[in-house]
Amino acid sequence: MITLKNVSCKMSGKQILDGITATFNKGEIWGIIGPPGCGKSMLMKLICGLYPVTDGDLYIESENIAGMSEVRLVPVRRKIGMLFQNNALFDFMNVWENVAFPLSRMNSGLSPEEIRLKAFERLKAVGLGGSEEKMPSELSGGMRKRVGVARAIITEPPVIIYDEPTAGLDPVTTSKIYDLLNEIQSRSQSVVLTISSDIIGLRSFVKNILFINEGKILYCGPEQEIDHCTDPVVYQFLRGLDEGPL
Amino acid sequence: MYNLIAKIGEGALNLCHETGGLLHLLFMVIKSLFPPRFDPGEFLRNLYKMGVKSVPIIILTAFFTGGIMVIQASVFVKRFGATSLVGWGAGYAVFREVGPILLGLMFSGRVGSNNTAELGTMVVTEQIDGLKALGIDPMQYLIVPRVLSMIIMLFLLTIIGDVIAIVGAALFGILIADVSFAAFWTSFSQNVHVADVVHGLIKAGVFGFIVSLTSCYAGMTVRGGAVGVGRAVNNAVVTAALGIVISDYFLTYSLS
Ligand SMILES: Nc1ncnc2c1ncn2[C@@H]1O[C@H](COP(=O)(O)OP(=O)(O)OP(=O)(O)O)[C@@H](O)[C@H]1O
Ligand SMILES: [Mg+2]
Repeated sequence: MITLKNVSCKMSGKQILDGITATFNKGEIWGIIGPPGCGKSMLMKLICGLYPVTDGDLYIESENIAGMSEVRLVPVRRKIGMLFQNNALFDFMNVWENVAFPLSRMNSGLSPEEIRLKAFERLKAVGLGGSEEKMPSELSGGMRKRVGVARAIITEPPVIIYDEPTAGLDPVTTSKIYDLLNEIQSRSQSVVLTISSDIIGLRSFVKNILFINEGKILYCGPEQEIDHCTDPVVYQFLRGLDEGPL
Repeated sequence: MYNLIAKIGEGALNLCHETGGLLHLLFMVIKSLFPPRFDPGEFLRNLYKMGVKSVPIIILTAFFTGGIMVIQASVFVKRFGATSLVGWGAGYAVFREVGPILLGLMFSGRVGSNNTAELGTMVVTEQIDGLKALGIDPMQYLIVPRVLSMIIMLFLLTIIGDVIAIVGAALFGILIADVSFAAFWTSFSQNVHVADVVHGLIKAGVFGFIVSLTSCYAGMTVRGGAVGVGRAVNNAVVTAALGIVISDYFLTYSLS
């Protein structure tokens, strides 16, 4: 479904990602972890085609998006639902319009009223019933995050990317969000890539883990086996130790 | 000495960079127009927001602009009894020069700066990336509707402004320069021609184009948070003002 072959990304002279090779298949749930600034968000933006790949190949289904023009990227991007780390809610629309926006922009065959109802239903599912008419600026950080989640999943795309879906949320809401993400995933069999710094919550949700440090992959494999990884950075990061290379 | 040369070189490179960026934006806008591919909803929304909502401030500006022309002239009008010149003078100056320039600058201050700030904020809060991620081309959704709205609206607002300015001039003429309405109207209608109005409206169209392009460009190229947005608004307003004054010189020269 998504294949990265030796993907590198350089910006303003700085190597942000270096030789990333990985495959994410249909139906898999991946957790992307690593220290701050290691390039997790950038990797997701590359997959979405928002920044150019400087080296290597990046396949979404069978299309290589490395070097693809903006026009040809449009249909590829529609296959991807993305929650941005800072939510990127449109501040000129209210909450339900934000959520409905992706759906109203594609040929879903739904009437405007059906789209509105679906947005309301999704907002209820993330625990935001009653806030539909508010503007994003009137919401708390955690509420905005949930609007972002609702917007990323409304079209049930084959690829879903969550950049920090549970940052700033309490444990109860976190587990509710993960339940919802699980439910969506099992229904649509999409590929899910989730970045999170809440390792424990994330590990209960994902089946596979990709560990990045300084733009390079240190671990890529099943979630259970990362505990046996001997890399000192991974070892220190997972156990939260003071002593180590980090 | 070396420093000076380096500074000049850097300035020249920057200028080339910005000019290239503006031309690229212009090219992209034109490309989105043939065939027309832009969001009609956003277009209407911007026509309203940029045009209709600017009407009060434009009326106010135009009314007093017309008045000021007459007040300045009144000294001479009274001294030489040249009441037959007031309508002509006011109409000629307002239509050809003062109207388009003042309204253009006003429009740049109200609409252009707002546009830059809005687009810039969307850039720094990743809303533009958010649009792209949804498979929406920001060019068609944000830029083209705004560029078209600004050009059309400054043109229409200038027509309204012209009328109001003449009303203002006539009124101040009666009140301050002792020019009767009949004298004002005769002088105005006999000496001011359609060509004068067209001259001003061509300018308005060009100014709208300059304000729209510079404000969109400044907004879309914002780097670095709120500070960056502030700097961009500043740049946009200064560039637009310079563009208006310089292009006015060339337009006046070539249209006369
Ligand atoms: N637009 C950009 N231009 C230049 N460098 C950038 C840009 N965006 C990110 N970077 C750099 O790329 C590196 C990786 O950034 P990224 O946002 O991917 O980190 P991250 O792993 O998501 O961190 P965090 O966990 O804090 O979100 C950082 O060093 C950052 O400075
Ligand atoms: Mg990040």
